Amino acid sequence: MGNKQVIIEVGDGAAIPSPRDKGLFTAWRISFFGTLAIIAYLLLFRPDPYLDIIKFLPDGIVVTFQVTIASISLAIVLGLIAGLGRISRNRLFNLAASTYIEIVRGIPLLVQLFYIYFALGHLIRVPDMLAAIIAMGFCYGAYMGEVFRAGIKSIDEGQTEASLSLGFNRSQTMRYVVLPQAWRTILPPVGNEFIALLKDTSLVSILAVSDILRRGREFASESFQYFETYTMVALIYLLITLILSKLLSILEDRLSHYEQR
Amino acid sequence: MFKKITLTLAMLVCIATTAVAQKTIVFAVDATWPPMEFVNSDKQIVGYSIDYMTAAAKAAGFTPVFKNVAWDGIFAGLATGKYDAVCSSVSITEKRKKAMDFSTPYFKVRQALIVAKDSSVKSLADLKGKKVGGQIGTTGYFAIKAADGVEPKSYDEVGLAMEDLKVGRIAGVVCDDPVAANYAMEQYKDSLKIAATIETGEVEYYGIAMKKGNKETLELVNKGIEAVSKTSYVQELQQKWIGQ
Repeated sequence: MGNKQVIIEVGDGAAIPSPRDKGLFTAWRISFFGTLAIIAYLLLFRPDPYLDIIKFLPDGIVVTFQVTIASISLAIVLGLIAGLGRISRNRLFNLAASTYIEIVRGIPLLVQLFYIYFALGHLIRVPDMLAAIIAMGFCYGAYMGEVFRAGIKSIDEGQTEASLSLGFNRSQTMRYVVLPQAWRTILPPVGNEFIALLKDTSLVSILAVSDILRRGREFASESFQYFETYTMVALIYLLITLILSKLLSILEDRLSHYEQR
Repeated sequence: MFKKITLTLAMLVCIATTAVAQKTIVFAVDATWPPMEFVNSDKQIVGYSIDYMTAAAKAAGFTPVFKNVAWDGIFAGLATGKYDAVCSSVSITEKRKKAMDFSTPYFKVRQALIVAKDSSVKSLADLKGKKVGGQIGTTGYFAIKAADGVEPKSYDEVGLAMEDLKVGRIAGVVCDDPVAANYAMEQYKDSLKIAATIETGEVEYYGIAMKKGNKETLELVNKGIEAVSKTSYVQELQQKWIGQ
């Protein structure tokens, strides 16, 4: 049993390119260089309107990254608490975490974003961007909670038993023995969630956060060049997620290498 | 029994002939713009523009069909022929004229600035460095963008901007004055007020937008608008929906 490696399957992540695929034409290379080529072609040979569109978008890209990074940080904190709660022996803590996850998973993300954004407005005065980040982090915290729970569960029970028999208490066991190991299993799906979250930040554009999609829509609504604008928006999203998924696969490769030693 | 069947048949023939004789024009409406066009509690699209166009249709002899479409992308749908015309408080602007054809104007508007009730703001210039919201792709939003030093913020629907204004996330909202009046004097009368009509803004006119070159629809709609504009029905509508 001992050294069984557990892979956590997460449905909605980016497709991870397999680093072991040795061929010249991998799916990742085709999409990445294809995207680059199309963008270059459009900018060079069709500067009107594509150059105008791309000039309109940069601050949207910055906002997309700001929202993504801030929400994922919040989601990781919430996820860790929720994940620990789900496996906790404290009945109250366990129940609270489970209820949180159950509720969040049961409501569509878009509906939650709307709800939290406008509900927050009635309770406290928070700026729009912060409200969007809280909404996003709150929703993803629940998904992340399940990732953490699965990661912690993947560590063999024997480790806990050994640690307890050596005189550690439960929280010390978690902190010094289980979590450092679970982290390696958790990291790839967390990266996946990061990419999924980056894509889902396009949903916050309905809350009037000026991300890539919102900037694109503003451009389109004034110039009436809907097809051209959305082409560019889609290509930029694709480029960003492809770069991130490559980074993620490199990271994962490093981790699994460490695992094999 | 036989009588019943003949009667039904006769009725069917009647309906069929009128349907054949009358051209149907499908209008796209973004029904989030009270009191001009909105969805009432019976889920019906109602409002000033709807009544106006129904009357115009009767006068010019076509059957109007109103289809609820989101504002963002309403002109894209027009260009791809998903409907014949847009009847959705579309202000006639030079830029839009290049992309589509417009009917004769049927309504006059200005842009109004709405602020919180306790605010002392008198014009857009007082809101330098603050966020001001408007519905994406509307002349109200363009007015904010044109204003100096104001941070424009676009919303999918003007109602969402009003909600954000009410809870204090933005400092003002700019939209067409009948809509502004509807929000500031009815729905949010305790928290919002109209600060000003935009001083630099020119008078705008609503028109029905059509795909470029769609002569047949343009003529029919123009004929209808012309007929209605001469009657006292316009005052009646003004009274009914806007109340001034």
